[in-house]
Amino acid sequence: MKFVSFNLMPYRELPKDFEQKYESVWVTPPKTLYDPRIGHEIYHDYLDALEYSVDLGYDAVGVNEHHSNAYGLMPSPNLLASILSRKVRHSDTTSLIVLGNSLALYNPPIRVAEEMAMLDVLSGGKFIAGFPVGTSMDTNYVYGVNPSELRERYYEAHDLIMKAWTTDETFTWNGKYNQLRYVNPWPRVAQDPHPPVWIPGGGSVETYDFSLKNNYSFSYLSFFGHKYAKKVMDPFWKRAEALGLDDNPYRAGYAQLVCVSETDEQAEKDYAEHAMYFFAKCMHIARRFVEAPGYRTVASLKAGLRSQLDGSAKFGSELVGEGLGWKDFVERGYIIAGSPDTVAEKLNEAAQELHVGNIVLINQVGSMPRELLMKNLQMFAEEVMPKLRDTWPQYDPSDYWPSGFADSYSTPDSPKST
Amino acid sequence: MAQPEEMQIQVNDDVSMALLVAGEGEPVIFLHGAGGLFWDPYLDQLSNQFKVYAPFMPGVGNSTGLESILDVWGLVLTYYDLFDALELDSVNIVGHSMGGMIGCELAATDPSRIKRLLPIAPAGLFDIDNPMGDIFAMVPEDLAKRIILDQESEVAKAMFALPDDMDEKVAVVITQISTLNAAAKFLWPLPDKGLKNRLRRIKTPTLVIWGKQDGLIPVEYAQEFKAKIPNMTLEIIDQASHTVQLEQLLRCVELSCDFLTADNLRPAP
Repeated sequence: MKFVSFNLMPYRELPKDFEQKYESVWVTPPKTLYDPRIGHEIYHDYLDALEYSVDLGYDAVGVNEHHSNAYGLMPSPNLLASILSRKVRHSDTTSLIVLGNSLALYNPPIRVAEEMAMLDVLSGGKFIAGFPVGTSMDTNYVYGVNPSELRERYYEAHDLIMKAWTTDETFTWNGKYNQLRYVNPWPRVAQDPHPPVWIPGGGSVETYDFSLKNNYSFSYLSFFGHKYAKKVMDPFWKRAEALGLDDNPYRAGYAQLVCVSETDEQAEKDYAEHAMYFFAKCMHIARRFVEAPGYRTVASLKAGLRSQLDGSAKFGSELVGEGLGWKDFVERGYIIAGSPDTVAEKLNEAAQELHVGNIVLINQVGSMPRELLMKNLQMFAEEVMPKLRDTWPQYDPSDYWPSGFADSYSTPDSPKST
Repeated sequence: MAQPEEMQIQVNDDVSMALLVAGEGEPVIFLHGAGGLFWDPYLDQLSNQFKVYAPFMPGVGNSTGLESILDVWGLVLTYYDLFDALELDSVNIVGHSMGGMIGCELAATDPSRIKRLLPIAPAGLFDIDNPMGDIFAMVPEDLAKRIILDQESEVAKAMFALPDDMDEKVAVVITQISTLNAAAKFLWPLPDKGLKNRLRRIKTPTLVIWGKQDGLIPVEYAQEFKAKIPNMTLEIIDQASHTVQLEQLLRCVELSCDFLTADNLRPAP
């Protein structure tokens, strides 16, 4: 099993009455709530934590892209990834993941081919390229992409980027949405033929086929844990079987909020407040922004609309409003929390149940302060990871993970050292 | 109410359009708004006096080929293809909201194809100081309040009723979403696609009807249409919001029929 230390980079100091007073954590949260001095601390705390994750031997450090979002402060994940690449290049174990760039938002999309090639070269061929469609909030409402064009633009951008990465000659692109006379991005990618591609998705049915047919790794990114993820991963594996593909667990990953402490009781004391912050404030999204018409295809609507119409699909803030608390979130599997033994046991169960090899760990839960984040990262790396590392020994991850050339190109950290 | 006939016409290589057709007499094309096409009392009354053709926009109902239409220009040409298929050289157009916008585009692009133009609370403009509502970021309860003045009226109840049966409910909601998605193609994220620069080309006799209490596109927008369309009459109707043709049915039918039969034509310049 492989572990990604992932950070959404949430703002930690939203006001206590945020969810009562404001409509949404996304699209319209008032900018006046953001204090750049606190923001400065937060960015560097989180970057420190990701660099520390490299020291701790996580298999990857990961960042992602959101816009106008108070719990996801990385409108440009590539900026932060480039900082991390300086440390990753020296590591024997840790890769660098941008999970990812919402392809339809980059015009022209060769910008993604260029920046990701830079990251691949900077990291020493240890880069994993995430290609999400992006949420409706990010792509349609904030970046203004027409929902009736979003998926076409995404697929066209994907085809263009892959062609740019795998073609040696300068070529011309005459697409529906992009016309480029001369496509020839420098630098070229470090990995041959290109970095592994991961597709983060919310479970739209088209994404299964797209990931499987291209041999990309599919990551189900939700904040509702493994029990919820099963609804998505079961059909994914069914589809893999139907296409006659193997069941390599590294074809898939899922996101999990994880909180480790000395004991189960101590975990509640340490983390409950911050988990409540996450579900009550960070999961407070105005219904009117959840989905532009056409964001989901008709096939996905057919699969998912029922639970919305019968009221069973709810936001975190609504659940908190109904009185749910720490124990419920742990019981429902939204959070895996407790002593190292408890966390290892539950995470192993979840991974077996979902048959996934890649665990995208959300170790920064809501308003957690720096020390607690470092504690969570360290305890997981030292006391949980060793117990789970050797899961799936019979499977080869190399289609979905980079090998890198960092060792041979390693240079000293400081210009002064010799 | 009359039972309209359903027609399906292949209008060009890429687009097949479904239409509701009823009545006898001079042809009138009705272009529906972003909420979709329903055979309602306004259309029914028009069909007592005219032959009403009400096409579903590509991407709505059984009309296909939206993906082949790149922009408003492509949509305009598709409607001319429809007129050709119906053998209509020059035709009367009634359009509600987005349909009113499309009607204006049709009249501005080739004035010779439009005989009379009747936009009802048309979309197509955007005033940053008096922004119209965002229909793409509105829960149904809010939309209802904005487009119908009297929430207790039969019009309001009929428009937002959902079937009890879950399968039927899912089907209805998918139709609503698909319809809005097709509308988004031409209205996202703001409905200003340059019509303001083209309105001056509309030489056709034009009647614009607007609800005085329009909660979606403020009635002040009517004045910009009036200022830019040379040959336009404006009728503002009290006690009506954005669905004025149903909220004040009789008045709107009377105005529409008078306009569509008046001796107001002059040769296209």
